[in-house]
Amino acid sequence: MKCAGFATVPLLLAGCKGPLSTLSPAGPIAQDIAWLWWALLAGAALLALLVFVLVALSFGRPREVPEKRWTFGLGVWFSLAVLTLTLAAALWVGERILPHGPALEVHAHARQWSWTFSHPGAQGPNEAEGVLHIPAGQPVDVLITSSDVIHSFWVPQLGGKMDAIPGRQNRLRIEATRPGTYEGLCAEFCGLEHASMRFEVIAHDPADWPPASLPVSPPLSPPALMEAPRP
Amino acid sequence: MIPNDVAAIPPNPPRRALHLHRELDIVWRNGPGLWGQITSVSHTTLGLRFMGTAFVFFGIGGLLAMLIRAQLATPQSAFLDTALYNQIFTMHGSIMMFLFAIPMLEGLAMYLLPKMLGTRDLAFPRLSALGYWCYLLGGSILILALLAGVAPGDGWFMYTPLSGKTYSPGINADVWLLGVTFVEISALAAAIELMVSILRLRAPGMKLTQMPLFAWYILGTAAMMLAGFPPLILGSVLLEMERAFGWPFFDPERGGDPLLWQHLFWLFGHPEVYIIFLPAAGVLSTVIPVLSRTTIVGYGAIVAAILGMVFLSFGLWVHHMFTVGIPHLALAFFSAASMLVAVPTAVQIFAWIGTMWRGRPELKLPMLYVLGFFFTFVMGGLTGVMLAVVPFNWQAHDTAFVTAHLHYVLIGGFVFPMLAGVTWWMPLMSGRRRIRGLGESAFWLILIGFHGTFFLMHLTGLMGMPRRIPTYADNPEWMLLNLSSSFFGFVMTIGFALFTIDLILQAGFGKRSVRDPWHAPSLDWAMALPPPNYNFASLPGVELQKAGAADAMLKLARGEGFLPGAPRGRREILVTSVGSARPEHVALLPFNTALPLVVAFAICAFVLLMLGGFYAVAPVALIPVAGLIWAWARRAVAAVDAAPVEIAPGLLLPVHPANGATLTQSGLVSLLFANGTFFASLLFGLAFLTLVSPGPPVPAWQADGTVLLAAIAVLALLAAGTLGGRWALARVEAGQPAGAALIGSVVANLAALVALAALALGVLPDPTRHAGDAVRAALVAYVGLHIAVAVLFSAFALDQARRGELNPAHAGSLRNWGLWQRYTLAAAALATAALWAQELTA
Amino acid sequence: MRRVGGMGWLGWLIAGPTVWAAAFSVAYGLHGLGCELGWPALSLGPVSLQRVAIALPSLAAILVCLVLLARVKTALGPEAGIPRLGLWIGLIATLYTMAPVLVATSCRV
Repeated sequence: MKCAGFATVPLLLAGCKGPLSTLSPAGPIAQDIAWLWWALLAGAALLALLVFVLVALSFGRPREVPEKRWTFGLGVWFSLAVLTLTLAAALWVGERILPHGPALEVHAHARQWSWTFSHPGAQGPNEAEGVLHIPAGQPVDVLITSSDVIHSFWVPQLGGKMDAIPGRQNRLRIEATRPGTYEGLCAEFCGLEHASMRFEVIAHDPADWPPASLPVSPPLSPPALMEAPRP
Repeated sequence: MIPNDVAAIPPNPPRRALHLHRELDIVWRNGPGLWGQITSVSHTTLGLRFMGTAFVFFGIGGLLAMLIRAQLATPQSAFLDTALYNQIFTMHGSIMMFLFAIPMLEGLAMYLLPKMLGTRDLAFPRLSALGYWCYLLGGSILILALLAGVAPGDGWFMYTPLSGKTYSPGINADVWLLGVTFVEISALAAAIELMVSILRLRAPGMKLTQMPLFAWYILGTAAMMLAGFPPLILGSVLLEMERAFGWPFFDPERGGDPLLWQHLFWLFGHPEVYIIFLPAAGVLSTVIPVLSRTTIVGYGAIVAAILGMVFLSFGLWVHHMFTVGIPHLALAFFSAASMLVAVPTAVQIFAWIGTMWRGRPELKLPMLYVLGFFFTFVMGGLTGVMLAVVPFNWQAHDTAFVTAHLHYVLIGGFVFPMLAGVTWWMPLMSGRRRIRGLGESAFWLILIGFHGTFFLMHLTGLMGMPRRIPTYADNPEWMLLNLSSSFFGFVMTIGFALFTIDLILQAGFGKRSVRDPWHAPSLDWAMALPPPNYNFASLPGVELQKAGAADAMLKLARGEGFLPGAPRGRREILVTSVGSARPEHVALLPFNTALPLVVAFAICAFVLLMLGGFYAVAPVALIPVAGLIWAWARRAVAAVDAAPVEIAPGLLLPVHPANGATLTQSGLVSLLFANGTFFASLLFGLAFLTLVSPGPPVPAWQADGTVLLAAIAVLALLAAGTLGGRWALARVEAGQPAGAALIGSVVANLAALVALAALALGVLPDPTRHAGDAVRAALVAYVGLHIAVAVLFSAFALDQARRGELNPAHAGSLRNWGLWQRYTLAAAALATAALWAQELTA
Repeated sequence: MRRVGGMGWLGWLIAGPTVWAAAFSVAYGLHGLGCELGWPALSLGPVSLQRVAIALPSLAAILVCLVLLARVKTALGPEAGIPRLGLWIGLIATLYTMAPVLVATSCRV
């Protein structure tokens, strides 16, 4: 059980699952980050324990303290070693989840307070309000734009988040291993209805891609998308 | 002649302590009654008042937190409507940062530093008072806005374009921009005077490398404030200009960039965390060794750690922006720097634990809070390292995980140490002992309440709950987590209420404390309880600094240190050299005055006019501000004919420095340093908008030869003003009249101002057209403001010459003006070059 | 350089971290500029102009720190301890924050 990290709270043992939980990943990118998190948690728990034990031990009788061993040995070299390891892992996973190589491109356009998505269909781009269609089992690059304030595109089970910034276009890679419906939300505070800016990602079986049942709409043309700046 | 070795100066003969006390008390004490409080400029009074006011704001901010927790306790609460909820979480963050944490640490530092450094007050007492009034008035504006329902609601980070006029049309955002900037005057004022006080007012012979660690921490804090606040102030000024006048710095449709705001805000916002942490760590470094009955482990390593933190923390700001679409390599720089800053933190943590190992820690109340700090802050630091990991940050950013992390860091790293500090210094501040039992109960309630609230909040965030949402009807899996956070939040509140009651009871009904109750080595306890305004009847030399509070106390009270008593009826302190603290001269501090309050009111009038949208009238309100500052300078204690003062047998010191800088000059250098960061941030903005920002390119200015000529004319006139000032100083130093040179300088400066105004009004493109035009106009306005101040400086010197107040020993105003003038000339030249470069790239 | 305290000592104290700060700012600025001007595509032998441009200020900073480290003892004598730590901070911080230049993807993809 991966929730063992929180085993101190038996009540919540089963509670790590959820449609928005980063701890129940549904694709390789979210999975990479989840593994990274469990590794970080294990390391952090050990380090915290070390410090707490050292503090507890100080309540004994006075001892000789080699100053340099504490300040430089523990303080500098030990922590630098741990941090270097962490940084290396961070860079490695960071490069893995970057949008390298070819991928299907879809668009996510945010405004107060809704999302418009589009994906390439058989007869041109398909547009949908609040629902993003993607094929399962292959990487998808979401091109994220906004026409008013800053929003943030986030589907916790499929990958990290990326801001939608007016005047810019950002690219985020996501991937769903299996077909299904995944929940997403706006993560950056964007005004009154920020909380209701939810959406869905439907991952289709690759055999059924592009899905035929969806209505075909004219190419996406909100003003800010048309003048979307250099990628 | 001043001997090189301070320890060799013979002591003053002992005198009757009571006699000295009466003599000093008459000179240094506050006036009676309410008026006496209003006119007080004492660091003891103002330090306490800063802390008390900060505590009141902490209560208000805490109340808002409870409203947030009440709203989130159930998934679909209708307790607060969304607009109000947004105002409440915005104000909670803003109050805790700007009205609690910063003023709290300023107050503690102001109260303690002169006592620890062995002097009688801070370098600029009236500035302390001005800072307090700006803080109180600015804070009141924010609270009144909250009560009136027009508080800012765009988050404490005020991201554009949401905080721009289009999406936040009311005055709510203006309240934040103007109110917080008004409050920041107090932060800059405190930073300048803490910096100057630490560098110039240490007791004779107290080398930098021997001063209490707390002073090192505050020196680092002050330096960080001088460099960290200007970007925020610049950002606020630019955003207010955009909102008020339509200068499109952050508007993507007219070439602006919302990311510029984020850079400026976090360039302040991240160092801010360390600005808050450093003084708290200073408290820990002071309290832990004494309560462990030993000395600190690794003094030098800790000083180096402070140094590292001060710098490294300026290389982290982008880790708040990991999801804005910056390339991985740039993220990696900041990720690495964010990792690295954990090293100096670790050095300090292990130095403190090592100190406890070496000694015999006593579980007194402050030590409980120290343990609370270890338990909480270590976890907060570790989640901080996790958040510095870019991939994990992409998941955790803007979720409750970050809320939990930042509360672990701020409550663990600031509030717990501050509570340790308050319980530690309460006997000093109140002169009384605490009532047993209550404090321990408060500690346990706070600790349990805190971890109950925030530990599981990490999980809430990992399960996907974003920040700043009022309802979560579709996510029953977050319900229990939120309910338990809310429950324990109220437990924590009860703990803080109990803590407050304990303080009030101690101050009102506690038994009188003995002097030096903790057997401390530092000078802050070598005085009566509660301390008199003058702190020390005589100022400690090297021997008394090292004697420990108990042994130094009596000798100091009997006048065996330097500069005993106040026989001349003046507020006298010793100014020493930066590194080795050799006594340089005696400085005279101002008496009680209401002038700071009047100046604060005048600034407040300007702020309110801007807030009300009376943009045409508002600049007029700056005239009284300028006039009052003139009066402020005129009323600085003039000692044109003061005779040298005997600070120890046979050792005469001048009242004005024969060589070396005056305190005012040191203060001005600090101010110019902060000003320089402001200017550098503005140049960064220019480069960012010109090179990095997407959107339409800057339209060509089509500047022709007349523009170039006008720019050269402005620079030449400023140079002439500078030379005139130099010439005047040379003549005054030679004892000759300098009137002609001064008149020439004033005229040159005035002409420069007129030329610049003609340039700005005549040929500058409309600043509302494009962000490039706006930032160009902002640069010109910056230079114009500096020339205007230079005019005032030169006119002040001319006025002094006319009154016959300038002589070789009293030419400080000429030197100060020279500093400002040279800075203005350099800034004008740099601005010209920058605008030239902008033209070339456009 | 003055031996006893004063601004000289303070100058030595902040020298190391200041050098780091300068290198860090310049590298970050050059990185942004390089991405705009397409430096990653221009190769200088085995590496791109981009990586060379970003690495150069750091190498310079490391050099400066080493030179100062060699001199600090003669300049400050018994007071050299903490400034020397400051120089080490500058050196290690430069090495550490610039290490990602070798591996991370430079510009937006």
